[in-house]
Amino acid sequence: MSRSLQHEVTLLELVDRVLNKGVVLSGDITLSVADVDLVYVGLRVLLSSVATLEEQAQLAAGGVPAR
Amino acid sequence: MSAAPIRESATGWYLYGVVPAGGQAPATSAVDPSHEVVAIESGGVAAIASRVSLDEFDETMLPERLADAAWLERTIRAHEQVLEAALARTAVVPCRFCTVYRDEDHLRSFLTGHSRVLTEALERLAGRVELGVKAFAAAEPPSAAGQAESGRAYLEARRAEQRRREELAASRSRTAAELHGRLSSAAEDGVVLDLQSPSASGRDEEMLFNGAYLVADRERFERALEVIARERADLQLELTGPWPAYNFVPEELGRG
Repeated sequence: MSRSLQHEVTLLELVDRVLNKGVVLSGDITLSVADVDLVYVGLRVLLSSVATLEEQAQLAAGGVPAR
Repeated sequence: MSAAPIRESATGWYLYGVVPAGGQAPATSAVDPSHEVVAIESGGVAAIASRVSLDEFDETMLPERLADAAWLERTIRAHEQVLEAALARTAVVPCRFCTVYRDEDHLRSFLTGHSRVLTEALERLAGRVELGVKAFAAAEPPSAAGQAESGRAYLEARRAEQRRREELAASRSRTAAELHGRLSSAAEDGVVLDLQSPSASGRDEEMLFNGAYLVADRERFERALEVIARERADLQLELTGPWPAYNFVPEELGRG
């Protein structure tokens, strides 16, 4: 498993826990359902940029990006 | 701008989690790195919190921040690192990401108002950590129905395919139940979590089990997992953690 892939999995695992679990019934300001959706959208952007970086790194190293 | 005094109303308190009274704040970078992580005691427990700018964390500002992937990753990791540093020293009841109080009084009234349930939760979590276990299976072979030539052969292939799928689903649900039973017996508590799609798990193999366990004796738990791994070469098992006990927050404080 490549380093960047490991990074993705860990972040997703983390996001599932910090967003959906823990003490929910607390806080004057909390995330709304719409906010949580936004986080997952933002995360997809982040992860696709990680994948792009990985491809670029492979291209720079003379390899062919995996499809 | 740098000469302007900081208005009291411009900051709130970001709450990471709750620890027993006397617990010290970890010396970790906060979600807003310009402020320190501190412990605030009330009601026999202590909040692990840090000041945050309401320009960043107010409801009206949050959607914009959340859409910023770099901000999101940095802030989620800061939240988790503060909790993990606290967990290395003491029991922690973790809060959800972006739990913010407008002022210290509101934060203190949460602690005093939930003093009993927080204290009991901390007693239950003392000396225990949350571990995650996932099991993956190799991808299914493609259906033969699409390749059949005659109509009758096609129907037979479809029926066979249907039977095979039902058997597979039944065998997977038996596997999941068996895993959960065996892992639970090596833990103080356990919950079955939703399965993740390959895009979320980051693996091509299909996930057939996802569980979280509250564990006092990590060696015993890991031995139980190793025994399962040896017996079930058809499964790929993944252990994660230790995590703050996100999945073992009392129902009165969580969504149940």
